[in-house]
Amino acid sequence: MSATPLIELHVPVEPESVSIVRTSVASLAARYDFTLDRLEDLRLATNEACALLIGLTGTAGATLTAVVESPAQGSLRVDLRRDGSSANLPSGDHFAWTVLEALVDQVTVTDEAGSVHVILTASGGLEI
Amino acid sequence: MTERASNSLAAKREGERQMLREFAQLDQSDPRRAALRDTIVTSHLPLVVAMANRFRDRGEPLDDLIQVGTVGLINAVDRFDPSRGLEFSTFATPTILGEIKRHFRDRGWAIRVPRRLQEMRIQVNIATEALTTELGRSPTVREIAKQTGLSEDDILDTLESAQAYSTLSLDAESGSDDDGPSLINSLGTEEIEYENIELRQTIGPLLEALDPRERRIVQMRFYDNMSQSQIAKAVGLSQMHVSRLLAKALESMRQGLDQP
Repeated sequence: MSATPLIELHVPVEPESVSIVRTSVASLAARYDFTLDRLEDLRLATNEACALLIGLTGTAGATLTAVVESPAQGSLRVDLRRDGSSANLPSGDHFAWTVLEALVDQVTVTDEAGSVHVILTASGGLEI
Repeated sequence: MTERASNSLAAKREGERQMLREFAQLDQSDPRRAALRDTIVTSHLPLVVAMANRFRDRGEPLDDLIQVGTVGLINAVDRFDPSRGLEFSTFATPTILGEIKRHFRDRGWAIRVPRRLQEMRIQVNIATEALTTELGRSPTVREIAKQTGLSEDDILDTLESAQAYSTLSLDAESGSDDDGPSLINSLGTEEIEYENIELRQTIGPLLEALDPRERRIVQMRFYDNMSQSQIAKAVGLSQMHVSRLLAKALESMRQGLDQP
């Protein structure tokens, strides 16, 4: 299955943006037949990941970008990024990571061209 | 305050007392009753406004709070018995406060949600429960839509509205014993075993700050790795309610972490 972006959102780095990203991701998860449990988990995880990135000290007026793809049938990959460096994110033993890892199948943090990415991969919970 | 002002205030108070006495003596069918009642209610409105103000910034419009508080005031006027020697404001305060608090509780929402959404929430909850039993797993939005006849968008709106993201929690006291079964509070407290010490040091105090029910749900979800529907079943709440409590707990823990 191709991994063409299903949605790509650019929102200001501010708390008010979180609901836009969260709601869009939840809506996609519903279209991808996520069970309610998985959908709510992904919604929460998106919320937490956005909060982490927004809390990052960085350039003012920055943009938060969310790209959602479906890497495989019944699963979604939510790539959240903004300007900055992962060095400024909480360390690996921070509670936020425990939460994220419990909520989705995989959490990846990468730095790429001055941007920090938090990537969430989740499956929908239906047998395929 | 000048003597004159204080005199006029005292006169006003006495006038109010007089009206209340008169009102209490009037027969239910007396035509003067309604007008007198209006006058008494209007003269005590500032009391309601002052109390409603104490609950502002909690996500409910001030106007709504004043409105329900006024209902409390009217009830107080109707039930007040001057012969007991209590000041009316002393008598009315708990009634007004009670109505305002009930307003928050009845909704069960931290934020204001339109009635239609509340009704849909009930439908979605019932369908979710039935489908979970029937399918042996958590249902998809599509399945809930089919069961309820609601659109998928409506269901998503309902789910989103069930969240308590970024809203202030109400009085934790009244929230925990009035909204939903408090089974979780009676389950007995288990010592939370953390897998590593560093986690215990960061998380311990934050978990402690949660109310017992939220703490238990966070523990079930993140330490016992139970799904939201499993937790819902275990604690006797709807899955949506569990989801809302989780979101609220994480929000308050995150705010705790942000503090230096």
